[in-house]
Amino acid sequence: MKRLLAIFTLSCLFFSSCLHAADDNVLNLYTWSGVIPDFIIQQFEKETGIKVNFSTYDSNETMYAKIKATPEAGYDVIEPSSYYIDRMRRQGMLEKIDKSRLSHFKNEDPEFLNQSYDPHNHFSVPFIWGVTGIFLGTNDLAKNSITRWANLWEKKYENRLMLLDDSREVFAIALLALGYSINDSNPEHIKQAYLKLKELSPNIKVFKSDGVITILIDEDIDVGMAWNGDLYKAKKENSKLDFIYPKEGFVIWVDSFAIPVNAPHRDNAYTFLNFMLRADIAKAVSLSNDYPTPNLAAKKLLPKEIRDNPIVYPAHAILRRGQFQTDISDEALDLYERYWEKLKMEG
Amino acid sequence: MRRLPAVSYLTTIYLFFYIPIIVLIVYSFNKAQYSLVWHGFSMRWYQELFSDMDLWVAVGHSFVLGIFAATIAMCIGGLAAVCLYRYSFFGQKVLYGLVFILILSPDIVMGISLLILFSLLKISLGFWSLLLAHITFCIPFVVVTVYSRIVSFDQYIFEAAKDLGAKDTVIFTRIILPLLWPALLAGWLLSFTLSLDDVIISYFVAGPDFEILPLKIYSMVRLGVKPEINALCSITFLLTLVVIVLSQLIGRKKP
Amino acid sequence: MKHDSFFKQFSLSVIWFWLLLFALLPFGLVTIASFLSRNDAHLITFPFTLINYLQLNNSIYIKIFKESFYIAGICTAICLLLGYPFAYLIARMQSGFKNLLILLIIIPFWTSSLIRCYSMITILKPKGVINSILLWLGVIDKPLPLLFTDTSVMIGLVYNLLPFMILPLLTNIERLDDRLIDAARDLGANRLTTFRKIILPLTLPGILSGCILVFLPAMTIFYIPDLLGGSKSILLGNLIQNQFLIAENWPLGSAISVVFTLLLAILLLIYWRSTRSNQSRDFL
Repeated sequence: MKRLLAIFTLSCLFFSSCLHAADDNVLNLYTWSGVIPDFIIQQFEKETGIKVNFSTYDSNETMYAKIKATPEAGYDVIEPSSYYIDRMRRQGMLEKIDKSRLSHFKNEDPEFLNQSYDPHNHFSVPFIWGVTGIFLGTNDLAKNSITRWANLWEKKYENRLMLLDDSREVFAIALLALGYSINDSNPEHIKQAYLKLKELSPNIKVFKSDGVITILIDEDIDVGMAWNGDLYKAKKENSKLDFIYPKEGFVIWVDSFAIPVNAPHRDNAYTFLNFMLRADIAKAVSLSNDYPTPNLAAKKLLPKEIRDNPIVYPAHAILRRGQFQTDISDEALDLYERYWEKLKMEG
Repeated sequence: MRRLPAVSYLTTIYLFFYIPIIVLIVYSFNKAQYSLVWHGFSMRWYQELFSDMDLWVAVGHSFVLGIFAATIAMCIGGLAAVCLYRYSFFGQKVLYGLVFILILSPDIVMGISLLILFSLLKISLGFWSLLLAHITFCIPFVVVTVYSRIVSFDQYIFEAAKDLGAKDTVIFTRIILPLLWPALLAGWLLSFTLSLDDVIISYFVAGPDFEILPLKIYSMVRLGVKPEINALCSITFLLTLVVIVLSQLIGRKKP
Repeated sequence: MKHDSFFKQFSLSVIWFWLLLFALLPFGLVTIASFLSRNDAHLITFPFTLINYLQLNNSIYIKIFKESFYIAGICTAICLLLGYPFAYLIARMQSGFKNLLILLIIIPFWTSSLIRCYSMITILKPKGVINSILLWLGVIDKPLPLLFTDTSVMIGLVYNLLPFMILPLLTNIERLDDRLIDAARDLGANRLTTFRKIILPLTLPGILSGCILVFLPAMTIFYIPDLLGGSKSILLGNLIQNQFLIAENWPLGSAISVVFTLLLAILLLIYWRSTRSNQSRDFL
């Protein structure tokens, strides 16, 4: 009897604590860390009176897992990469964006719109983009010695390479070296890519996706894969760094804003998106986070040294060699994972 | 002279614990933003820190969460250890098993499964979901620590007390608790430490409006953690150190 | 005693309520998930299948498990070797500063472990503290490759887990009765024998508790090998993480987790049975 009473009391206390908080005029923002500066958030709050709850994540995968597990997680705006936009829109996790409500959408560069990962941009608003290429530190004397991904396989780079810790990015360099698409789902091609990577193993020193900028500046590693935005940032503190756009092609990644289905404050989300699309805001953001912006109107406002800097904004002829990442089937993803595990454990 | 090996050994271990902290504090004054090499002295990060309200709010949240979680975990875990030791009851082995499952579960599995559970129970994500999750993963650490101490008790004390007519509650408060409190305190300290630092589980069960420090730091890892965080950790470390040293010096028992 | 005391009822209610709801239920969900499948739309869905468990019989997974076990084992051994003398010395102190010394162990660990990892990186990297000092002293003429090695990973692991060995040991060793040690000495035992026959068996519960609290987290930790080791091999923590997040194969991730839990439970059970002959009622 007493036991039942105790359990009952505890249950009451427990469930009474599940009351939902009152809904204010807020925006629940959920993006990558380091891309939206605080002063922009403060400016938005001042201009619109909307309070922003700003949370950040460190990878697409963790953001996706959380929203998949609880669709009512309560976020209003998220910032997935291109292939996650693809995946999430196919699974009905994203709200269709009514572009008539975004008066500044016309600022966007048409080059980055209507790609295969989101035709007509029904679900995403591109925010920042970048390229994965080869970086070169100070130790390599002949700067023109590397022009292709294939060069990384040379013996002189034994135990010197830093590759990104991302299975699709690393497989992309083998697929490109073999002449295939970075979004290849063909098991035979994937296997060939794996075998090619196995040959590269002796040259790989570390796999790293975080703290890359520190490594570039401090020259812990002097050659490998990196994002052009990271290299541009690092070059400010170490001018001897160089960035190469490989001849076989490269990955172009785009991070876009999207609105999850069940977003509790949809109107505020639209207000925010339109705000971020403004040329002056996008320009301030780009100057602060050092990433290239897909906002053409903003780009025109940037200082000439940045607009003409080939590391940040490669020429059109070079950019054409790049490929956007799209979603691939679960079976193909599985295959990539298996080979990735094999590569790390046996390579 | 006889105590020299002991003292040098203790000093070495303490140095091992503290040298990374000293480096952390020194580098909070580093002039560079991303580089981990010393570039000169600068107070810039402390200035940025004091104008970054969001960070301080997150620190406060983490401390509050940690204190609540550690205290409740200490109570539940302590009771569990005492019951497992003193009584035999139906399902005792299952209880052992459940405590083990909590320690064995990888963080990500616990994080996702708790998230699904909260979503099924319609518990909204925020302070309460974090608190429940933190208490849950702290309990086994308290149980193991307290149990390792209670095992050394002299069984006859309990029997003598019972023979004298003492109720269980009295035995608990008058006999067990005084003998056990160092282990309970150790359990509290371990729990508080775990709670302050937990990333993966917290990531999944946190909500948009209750930001905690480890999540803020972890999401910065991709770009590179700014020395501003070093400044924050230095200040909280020094504050805690001062508070604890002072309280110990004031209240210490004479040997 | 026919009816249970209030204390016993209350305590057991609280404990059962909490553990059933937050330990058994989630574990149950994970176990069920391990028998399910997935498709493009849903991460877990019917039908029930054994395919996830069949996929585990894979030389790579076994290799990953062995390597994690090996690393966790070495880490635990080092923590024990370093932690036991430390805990012994502090626990047996008579000084009034004893409590302060104990608290001083744990205060550094209230700073984020991630930041302390970065401190380690700052110390170990090619242009870091150690190399700079050695180069300046002229002891070496090229930086030593201290970072991104197995050693740096082990240092990081031991650094982060040592307090979890020390604290349970401390609370256990404190209860050691001096009179037993004196009695042994009176009977003619030298220090080694006293240690082997008296101290060690009596402190065994503390040792086992410390080992559990170090070994188990060491098997599933993932960010220390990533940050300090260059992510060159996959450990159990990374594997499960990858399954849930990158491969989005929640059933497989659940299956790995369940198998890992069962395997370790069996190991602990075997150890418990084999030491049952001793009188010590330790936690196992």
